[in-house]
Amino acid sequence: MLNDSSTIGKEPVIKCESVYKIFGNNAAKLLANASGPISAEEFQKAGCIIGVNNASFEINKGEMLVVMGLSGSGKSTLLRCISRLTDPTSGNIFIDGKNLLEMNSKQLIELRRNKMGMVFQSFALLPHKTVLENIAFPLIIKGLPTDESITKAMEMVELVGLKGRENYFPRELSGGQQQRVGIARSLAVEPDIWFLDEPFSALDPLIRKEMQDEFLRLQDSLHKTIMFVTHDFDEALRLADRIAIMKDGIIEQLDTPDNIVLNPATEYVKKFTEDVPREKVLKIESIMDKYNQSLAGNNTVSKDAIIETVAESILESKENLTVIDSKKNNEPVGILQPSKVIKVLFGK
Amino acid sequence: MFEDIKKSRQKQFLFLFFIFLILYFFVPKNEASYFWRLPPLLKDIPLIFNTLLDNLMFNWFTVPVWDPDWQMYEDKTLFRIITRSISNSVLFFIIFIREIFLGGYQTVSSILGDGITKTFSWLYIPALPWTAVVIGAAIIGYKLEGIRLAIIAGIGFLYVSVFGQWEPSMQTLSLVLFTAPVCFILGLSLGIWGYLSKRVEATLQPILNVAQTMPHFSYLVPIVVLFGVGDHAGSIATIIFATPPMVRLTILGLKKISPEVIESGLMSGCNKFQLLFRVLIPTARRDILIGVNQVIMQCLAMTTIAAFIGAKGLGFNLKVALNSLKIGKAAEIGICVVIIAVVLDKLSLAWANKQKDYFANLGFYQRNRLSIFFIFFTIICSIVAFFASYYFPEGFNYLYLIPFNKGLTVSPILDAFVDWIWNTFFYYLNTFNIFLLTNVLGPMKQAYLNMPVISTFLLFMGAGYIIGGIRSCLIVGSLILFIALSEYWDRALITLYMATFAVSVSAISGIIVGSLCSQNNFASKSILSLCDFFQTFPSFIYLIPVILLFGITDTSVMIAAIVYASVPATRYTVEGLRSVPPSLHDAGSMSGVSKMQRWRLIDLPLALPHIMLGINQTVIFALMMIVLGALIGTEDLGQLIMGSLSRPNGAGIGFTLGIFISFICLAVDNLIRTWSNERKKLLGIE
Amino acid sequence: MVKFFKGFILASVILSFTIFGSIAKAADPIRIPVLNWSSQIVMANVMAQIFEEQGFTAELVPAESASRYEAVRIGDLHVAHETWESTMALPFYEAMDKGGLIDAGSHDLITFEEMGIPNWVIDEGLCPGLPNWEALKSPECAANFATADSGGKGRWLEGPYEWHTDVMPNRLKGLGIDDLWMVKFAGSADALWAELDAAKKEGRGTVIFNWSPNFTDASGFTFIDFPPYFEGCRLENGGSLETTGCGSPKGWLKKAAHIKFPITHPAAYKFYTKMSFTAPQIGLMADLVDNQGMSHADAATQFIADHRDLMDLWMN
Ligand SMILES: Nc1ncnc2c1ncn2[C@@H]1O[C@H](COP(=O)(O)OP(=O)(O)OP(=O)(O)O)[C@@H](O)[C@H]1O
Ligand SMILES: [Mg+2]
Repeated sequence: MLNDSSTIGKEPVIKCESVYKIFGNNAAKLLANASGPISAEEFQKAGCIIGVNNASFEINKGEMLVVMGLSGSGKSTLLRCISRLTDPTSGNIFIDGKNLLEMNSKQLIELRRNKMGMVFQSFALLPHKTVLENIAFPLIIKGLPTDESITKAMEMVELVGLKGRENYFPRELSGGQQQRVGIARSLAVEPDIWFLDEPFSALDPLIRKEMQDEFLRLQDSLHKTIMFVTHDFDEALRLADRIAIMKDGIIEQLDTPDNIVLNPATEYVKKFTEDVPREKVLKIESIMDKYNQSLAGNNTVSKDAIIETVAESILESKENLTVIDSKKNNEPVGILQPSKVIKVLFGK
Repeated sequence: MFEDIKKSRQKQFLFLFFIFLILYFFVPKNEASYFWRLPPLLKDIPLIFNTLLDNLMFNWFTVPVWDPDWQMYEDKTLFRIITRSISNSVLFFIIFIREIFLGGYQTVSSILGDGITKTFSWLYIPALPWTAVVIGAAIIGYKLEGIRLAIIAGIGFLYVSVFGQWEPSMQTLSLVLFTAPVCFILGLSLGIWGYLSKRVEATLQPILNVAQTMPHFSYLVPIVVLFGVGDHAGSIATIIFATPPMVRLTILGLKKISPEVIESGLMSGCNKFQLLFRVLIPTARRDILIGVNQVIMQCLAMTTIAAFIGAKGLGFNLKVALNSLKIGKAAEIGICVVIIAVVLDKLSLAWANKQKDYFANLGFYQRNRLSIFFIFFTIICSIVAFFASYYFPEGFNYLYLIPFNKGLTVSPILDAFVDWIWNTFFYYLNTFNIFLLTNVLGPMKQAYLNMPVISTFLLFMGAGYIIGGIRSCLIVGSLILFIALSEYWDRALITLYMATFAVSVSAISGIIVGSLCSQNNFASKSILSLCDFFQTFPSFIYLIPVILLFGITDTSVMIAAIVYASVPATRYTVEGLRSVPPSLHDAGSMSGVSKMQRWRLIDLPLALPHIMLGINQTVIFALMMIVLGALIGTEDLGQLIMGSLSRPNGAGIGFTLGIFISFICLAVDNLIRTWSNERKKLLGIE
Repeated sequence: MVKFFKGFILASVILSFTIFGSIAKAADPIRIPVLNWSSQIVMANVMAQIFEEQGFTAELVPAESASRYEAVRIGDLHVAHETWESTMALPFYEAMDKGGLIDAGSHDLITFEEMGIPNWVIDEGLCPGLPNWEALKSPECAANFATADSGGKGRWLEGPYEWHTDVMPNRLKGLGIDDLWMVKFAGSADALWAELDAAKKEGRGTVIFNWSPNFTDASGFTFIDFPPYFEGCRLENGGSLETTGCGSPKGWLKKAAHIKFPITHPAAYKFYTKMSFTAPQIGLMADLVDNQGMSHADAATQFIADHRDLMDLWMN
């Protein structure tokens, strides 16, 4: 599944260079005399709507980038640009080092048939096809023989746990089941790059949790490069390697979860993360004190552990704990006072 | 007072009507006055149209063509060469399909040349025995759906054969089997094109409107001039009539597809071709299927009309039967038309809904079992039929083809039934007829004819303004102006009078019957099937009994129009009422309303926008039937349209008057649609 | 996408035309129009069967009575074998003037088209003095022919307006009886026959337009005697109000053919020009179908068998 040969060295899988997507007629004129982000007033004056405003970032192989932001902030548009469902107004996008925007439609189709998969917010299943046919669809489109596609699709059906329902039509499935079909379909061609646009937002909390677990399990075995859009910070924290926060088309900050919470780059990100429970983001590392042998206790805790997951045992221990680095032979690196944990949990 | 009027639409209409009445009574009946009648400035349009057609066919862009008969070059116009080669191709296909059923050597000789079939007399397509076709239909039905459809298809074709209508039915069927797919493909392509390009859609819209509302008889003559007479002409007329609903429904269906579904197709790596045929069209399938159903219904509804310009088959036989007042026979033929419509509709639906089984690992025999059966039965049937020819000495081989006068018939019973109605009810009906003519229709007609042109305009444009603002007002006004500037305004008024009467009665009866039937599942289904029946059952058939009962009077025309035009009013009422959400029903019941109150206060207002679209259709249907009523005898636009069929230069006049009728429809359509859309938005349906 | 689709449509249209336009140079059968009355259809079948006997192929094409002359003129039909003088002379000559249609002779009979009454109207004495037109001058008579929509006047039921346009209304004026009678135009021949039945049922007198030979000859129908016809008596032919009350002329029953028919199918044309039926023969054709219940094709076969020598005579 990992075909390393395609990524030479540390070449990022996805690379965006000041990508703009502006809806409206005067878009080109607006861009011609601008550099850097364009302000909201300028857009309004020109009668344009901003989708993506000067986005530049890289995603490495096997990394999961979660994109967040309020409704209308341009998340879907960004995804559409990178999958070239819509053409960016300007900027450059490289997929595995190849310029996406210079590809002709044939190359693009090749790319989508072999490298990309996408899961849609509203499932977007083909209503006239059964579960099995929906999943086999990309394979058949690709030109695989029917029986081969069906066998492969059947594997996918099992993978997402829909065995026994393969001959149902989408309308006969629940929302969660439909989304599994969508996931199975996007995985059928074994893509390296996986786009997921709010895949779980239509689901109820219980199923969502279940799906997230399943998703993590999948990702554990598949190691895909993923762009994942969500509204839900909890979800982001559970899944993300890095988080991008968007506002009005601008990527306000792109960083690891704890950095975003601890060091918000802008007022907006700060407000955005204000209500996020720290214990869910912060690792022990971020609240430990310097290592001091005399104060260290007997109990240990890993410096990479998320506070929430270890809080209970810490609070039970009453005395200071020793923080260790599990990657470096459990070498002690700091001490932790339980009172700090209480502060994170209950106070500011 | 003016504040009041501004607020209430009802008051606005009252006010409008008041001014209308003032103008009606105070404008003097003076031929020179423009308030009374407008001058016929546009009276040359038919001539211009004729000249254009004439030039296209005989004068413009000529190319010399070698004529083997004259042994010299003859100048032929390019346009004519094109239309005639279209005619030839169409005819070729129809005859080819026809010869599969009925046998013949025209296909062979048109491919290989005339001489071949003369030298080799065995070189022809042999006819299928009717038994084989019946079995074939049943097998197809079985393959597509199962035993139920097999029985329907088998019995349908069996009826057609046993009642001695085999040959004309197969002629009609071959016409439909060519025409319906063409309508489908054409409609689908235009629909897709319209979906892809806003400009195309904008151009298509008015053309579709006119094609759908123009009476058929008005484009028969132009078609004859352009394409000649024969099955191909009938087919082309049918295409004009049956394609527009397909286009509309395709556009509608495609527009409903969510953009994400399209994107999901793109992300699956579809190229344009795959996107179109594997994503877009299948996703819009529901609407497209309704389109297919419409195409089939319309194709069969056109059989009789196509017979006016040369289509063979049931329609022509029907005309012959009616000419000698054989109503029973005509009804039998009409039922064959309905049967073919039903069978084709069900088969096409089943075909579209068919699911593929990927896991059945079948051998050659299993996969082709049914085809093998079919071939096997055909051979058996042919052999049996062959030997049977020794058995039936008088020259008719009943196992091959049952001739029309040797089949079963129930026409004596039907005739006796018509006679019975006639004998029993004639005197009552006659009294009713005299009453209606002297007290309602006569005065109404006079009242319309006494209407000054200014007040007609006021009424229409005023209604347009109240309903849809200045835009509707101008659209409606210009549509009517076109008619008012012709020399046929008085005739248009007579058409309008008949339409008003027929539409009011049809609408009221349709809404009442529809409301009653929608109370109950079974009744709704039955009434919808009945609507299907009357939509395809050739309306010509009831022209004659109606004359017998009501004489050659406007009453007859009105009755025929009402029977036909009640169909859409009923259908849309049932559909509209049935689609009222049950939660609202329950809410109503909980607040303790009676059934009647619920109908009046909840169901009807919610269903009204949909019902109004039915009324819209009712207007179109009524006008079509009023034009057809010219076969009984009228003095309106329809008389001239029918007359244009047998006039040497009828194309221009028929076409122009057809456009007039279409404009009347469009004016009404504009008013109703604007109102209904606004209403729908208000109610949050849509 | 639009471009692709346009190309797709264009390509398929062009393709289908080039292929089928070229192969489908349709075998050129002799196309004979059939109208909706029995004798005409049987005669068409007789011709078709004879033509096939001669080695041609023939095709029967449903058509409309007057518009078929234009079709004959431009060669969509080869013949028009029943051309009645009073109703079809106009389009017949018009097509001839434009070029393309030729006169292939007449049948051996005299046609007559006129207003008339079914015999029972005379027997019942609804209008004493008929069939002399003077009887129509009596108001009592006219009252017996009134209908609900005739405004108290007696009603003449004329054929469709385009058959003779204003001849009958003018005739009423010319005869000075337009205060007692009015003209209603029926929409079709079917309507005329239906009116015959309906009037009888009601016991109301009816004056309808009819012609001979026709199937009504058998059931008893009498034409009204109007003042004699002479050339130019009618208003539309330059006559005056005094003379326009004249009756209808006795007329011919012609055969028309496309101008190329003699060249493309010489033997068939020879038969066609010689072919000349009499009134009893045409009556027989209708009778075989209407009363003996034969199909049109069988009736034609029967007719040919019964008149073999005549056919042979015309063929040679
Ligand atoms: N086709 C379009 N034409 C014009 N404007 C568009 C188009 N598509 C998106 N936009 C605009 O671009 C902006 C970003 O839209 P986008 O769909 O990317 O938001 P989002 O972040 O995905 O929102 P949500 O969370 O609701 O899905 C919005 O203001 C939207 O109105
Ligand atoms: Mg979105």
